Amino acid sequence: MTQLLHVTGLNVAFNTYGRRHHVLKDVTLSVPQGGRVALIGETGSGKSVTSKAILGTLPGNARIEGGEILFRGDNVLDMPRGRRDALKGTAFSIIMQDPLSSFNPVFKIGRHLNDVMYYADRRLGRQSSAAERGQRIFDVLRKVQLDDPKRIVAAYPAQLSGGMRQRVLIALSLLHQPDLLIADEPGTALDVTTQDEIMKLINRLVADNGLSLLMITHNLGVVRQMADDVYVMRHGEIVENGSLAEIFTNPRQPYTRQLIDAIPPLYGAKVEDQKPAEADPIIEMGGVTKVFEQRPLIGKATRHVAVSDVTLSVRRGEVFGLAGESGSGKTTVARMIMGLASVTSGSVTVDGKAVEDERGSDAFRRKIQIVYQNPGTSLNPKRTVGQTLRVPLVFAGLRGKALDDRIVELLRLVDLSASYVGKYPHELSGGQKQRVAIARALAVDPEIIVLDEPTSALDVSVQKNVIALLTRLREELGLTYLFISHDLSLMRNFCSRIAIMLRGEIVEAGEPRDVFDNPQHPYTRALIAAVPVISDEEEARKPRVSDEERRRYLVDTAA
Amino acid sequence: MQENYLYTFAKRIVGFVGVLFVLSLMIFILARVVPGDPARIALGPSASQEQVDAMRGQMGLDRPLVEQYFTYVTNALQGDLGRSLISGRAVTTEIAALLPATLELVLVTVIMMAVIAIPLGVITARYRNSWIDNAGRFFSIVGVTMPSFLFAILLQLFAAYFLTDWPIIGRIDHTLAAPKSPTGLLLVDSLVHGRFDVFVDAFKHILFPALALAMSGIGQITRITRSAMIENQRRDHVLTLQSFGVPDRVITFRYLLKLSSIAPLTIMGLEFASLIGNAFVVELVFSWGGFASYGLNAILQKDLNAVMGVVLLSGLFFIVANIIVDVILLMLDPRLRLKEAR
Amino acid sequence: MATEATHELEALTPRYMAWYRFTRNPTAIVGALMVISVVLVAVLAPLIVPFPEHTGAAVNFRVRHSAPDLTYWLGTDKVGRDILTRVIYGFRVSLLLVVGVLAVAVPLGAALGLAAGYFGGWTERIITGLTNVMLAIPPLVMALAVGNVLEPNLVNAMIAITLLWWTWHARLVYRVSKSIAAEDFVEAARLAGASHWHVLTREILPNCISVISVKTTLDAAFVILFGATLSFLGLGVKPPTPDLGSMVADGRQFLPEMWWGVLAPGFAIFYATLGFNLLGDGLRDMFDVEV
Repeated sequence: MTQLLHVTGLNVAFNTYGRRHHVLKDVTLSVPQGGRVALIGETGSGKSVTSKAILGTLPGNARIEGGEILFRGDNVLDMPRGRRDALKGTAFSIIMQDPLSSFNPVFKIGRHLNDVMYYADRRLGRQSSAAERGQRIFDVLRKVQLDDPKRIVAAYPAQLSGGMRQRVLIALSLLHQPDLLIADEPGTALDVTTQDEIMKLINRLVADNGLSLLMITHNLGVVRQMADDVYVMRHGEIVENGSLAEIFTNPRQPYTRQLIDAIPPLYGAKVEDQKPAEADPIIEMGGVTKVFEQRPLIGKATRHVAVSDVTLSVRRGEVFGLAGESGSGKTTVARMIMGLASVTSGSVTVDGKAVEDERGSDAFRRKIQIVYQNPGTSLNPKRTVGQTLRVPLVFAGLRGKALDDRIVELLRLVDLSASYVGKYPHELSGGQKQRVAIARALAVDPEIIVLDEPTSALDVSVQKNVIALLTRLREELGLTYLFISHDLSLMRNFCSRIAIMLRGEIVEAGEPRDVFDNPQHPYTRALIAAVPVISDEEEARKPRVSDEERRRYLVDTAA
Repeated sequence: MQENYLYTFAKRIVGFVGVLFVLSLMIFILARVVPGDPARIALGPSASQEQVDAMRGQMGLDRPLVEQYFTYVTNALQGDLGRSLISGRAVTTEIAALLPATLELVLVTVIMMAVIAIPLGVITARYRNSWIDNAGRFFSIVGVTMPSFLFAILLQLFAAYFLTDWPIIGRIDHTLAAPKSPTGLLLVDSLVHGRFDVFVDAFKHILFPALALAMSGIGQITRITRSAMIENQRRDHVLTLQSFGVPDRVITFRYLLKLSSIAPLTIMGLEFASLIGNAFVVELVFSWGGFASYGLNAILQKDLNAVMGVVLLSGLFFIVANIIVDVILLMLDPRLRLKEAR
Repeated sequence: MATEATHELEALTPRYMAWYRFTRNPTAIVGALMVISVVLVAVLAPLIVPFPEHTGAAVNFRVRHSAPDLTYWLGTDKVGRDILTRVIYGFRVSLLLVVGVLAVAVPLGAALGLAAGYFGGWTERIITGLTNVMLAIPPLVMALAVGNVLEPNLVNAMIAITLLWWTWHARLVYRVSKSIAAEDFVEAARLAGASHWHVLTREILPNCISVISVKTTLDAAFVILFGATLSFLGLGVKPPTPDLGSMVADGRQFLPEMWWGVLAPGFAIFYATLGFNLLGDGLRDMFDVEV
């Protein structure tokens, strides 16, 4: 097979604050004509820098220190600016990652599409009238399943949903039938079901139009669906490459193996079942509804029903998972349990006492604590780990030596050494920050900890360690967890019971084994079917859903 | 999300009316708690106590404060701001005669600010760290830091030594019979009447005062435009367009310019308050004879009614300017229209 | 122990990055030197001025309006006083004004801004409403009105300026405080039992310090400018106290011939405001904050 794109010995360094950071080290990779290649790596591995180097959109402080990027045998790095620009959008195109920030908010979608097409046409020496371009744009928009192109081009970016914007970004890359499509984590910011739709769409477009694909992602499940060849990247180096089957079934490098092992299985022998707890309920919600109402000074009040008639009970010592996509109301449920949001109707009790009466009291605060999703914002950047941990301990009445000892003990509990006391958050990695956040939650000896997507901002290998820590802490300290997440494969292994939420309601609840093996509600089936998995066995055991069912529950509708 | 201009706009107007109300209350209280009896000021030191008491009654100063305030607001709404304590004429009439001069100065200044500062900001951002950028930044920091009065005097000195024919005082050469209608703005009226000689003379007169008045705003707005451009250059949407080979020139002058003019326009509205303040100084130096000079005299002579009128009208000026800015922003930025309507 | 890599994070601490930005910014260093020189000259004024007796109401008609020469480096004024001496003392007056205004306006504005941003609700509505009203008043007009009502002098000028100045700090700190208050760590601190006082002073305030210090530096320039403008209009510091603004106003009567009488104090004001501005700009880049 001929190589469409061939990168050899690519070295790129960034100059940041007077220091040289060598971010790409001898990167070599090839995309064959008509092939699908995945470049996989965790945060900071250099995978996005690789795609920018190929496209020619590296930032000003980056320098290519060596290597070649051959496109159909020509080194693009030697090309004059004009010739290189002429390749953009026509020879190769990129599908951008973040759907909202990828469009200029004060220009209509149509303006973006038209300008990209106009200048590409001009470079190709093609004359085009505005009307003709409009027609071609409509055709491409229909190709990415946007059925009302007229509305799309007249809309501002903020008026479209995330899924729609991602489709427009795909359309943008297809305006001039390129040979190579580079996809930089498409759909990562979207809900699972939408992401699944996007992947299916890209796959179909690649197959139908005979394109080659370079897929950049951190998600191995996505790789299985989207690639024939795989390159694994770490710290700017390609550590391993091979065919999809080789990499997944017989990885040679320990790093690759570690990556694959870190992914929680959805089905199969490796799945862990958590024992269901037999104890009495510690949290009970009965018919709880929450309505957000905004009453502006003038004009009509707006109502939004965030949670509707939710009844659930969490037993002492269990890991109760609350699953759902964005806007499903799962976080609002947790906030009502913590007394951070009031209940519009219904009752919430914790340990037999109504939260309504208890909220704000010292005893209640000590009973229930939270670990947030984003380790970057849950620690004060101006305070050391020690200062952060002092606050709850002083509240618990500790002083002097006892307090200092307890800080060290807490750090030890979350596998950090005593030397971390004086460190600031910027000196910690994401996983370490999350450990500190867990230590803070543990400081007042709570009975319940709300885990609000505690690992979704972390790389998968780090996630595995944090989950192992949480599991150990629960066993040692007899904690009860309320675990909020959209990651179903993680929940399958970590939770002893789960509830699935859709548009403010619980549609299905039960032990993970039952829910996953025999999902009752069509939404649950659609949700599970959309989870990217890494083995054919898991894929085969997923529930089947009809297209019609899938569409019906797509939270982020296509048009 | 639907676009909804009217709702957003109505909300702003309500806010501004509130501002005006509080402002009137503040200056009313200030004027009433100050030491010094307005009746005594009006009559002068030689008047007898009986005369002063009679005057107090006539001016309504012996009635309860709440009633006085109510009367003041009711009158103000009908365009009556009381009589000057010094000249005895209605404050509104006096101000109305001087307003066009100041309005003309301010309008030319604002046009200068927009025409010079925004392009300068865009160009310095585009050629970041080049000599153009350094020169532009130096120019803008001089504008921000140099006192208006010093800049005005420097311009006069420059004219005195190097441009001896250039007028440095007043609005117009008094030997010219300038048309006074329909607007009172010399630059407009002269064109309406086809008097090109008057237009040129008025333009020469207004150029230096307007430049002196515009300098600090130009500095401020150049800086803000530049940093908004640089900030927006880092955004993903620029990368999107670059990835598809849209020329940098188009990205800068179409996509970034519109997005980056939102911040400087907002600031221009807010800067209006200090612009009016600086007009006091510039009008003094150039003997402009406008509303601001009138205000300065009123303050120096403790002419309380006139001072209240001047402050209230300055506030109104600010509010009108900001309403205009809001309308422009609403047209520029769809997010403002979309968000509020939700 | 947790094993995730931190190798790149350790290399670039915020402090290193800030210092790097500052030292790569020649104008910031120039600004710092200018500010230091102004402060030094003002503090050491009694020791370095050539004619200490010229600071008050001295008259020396023999040498009135002499152009700059070797005795009178910057010339003399209408009663024959050395302008250099008076300019140096003028710096003292300006800096006194800066300290007097900012010592009250900054803490007051910061406290109100913090409270408005953190507590929200009616606290927020009242404080932001008040600052919005204050914004609509031309500051110079208000200061003139207040200053005149209270008899023009240094202290009253300070009071008049302070009355207006806190609003800018309140607005700025409010904006930062509101965004910080929405961060998870603030809620986490509350849940961990921290008091409002703790949250305000230990969690939010430290995150506002860089913004406040940049704004304060820039403000020093504007207070000098503002005070000079007031006294130029005859409503600030009164003669014979050597004040830069009133010296310009005095000198203006003898233009264009006696240009030094205006240019010397005029450029002295410019020098001081430029110094504080360059330094403030440098600090802004250094802390990478929006002011």
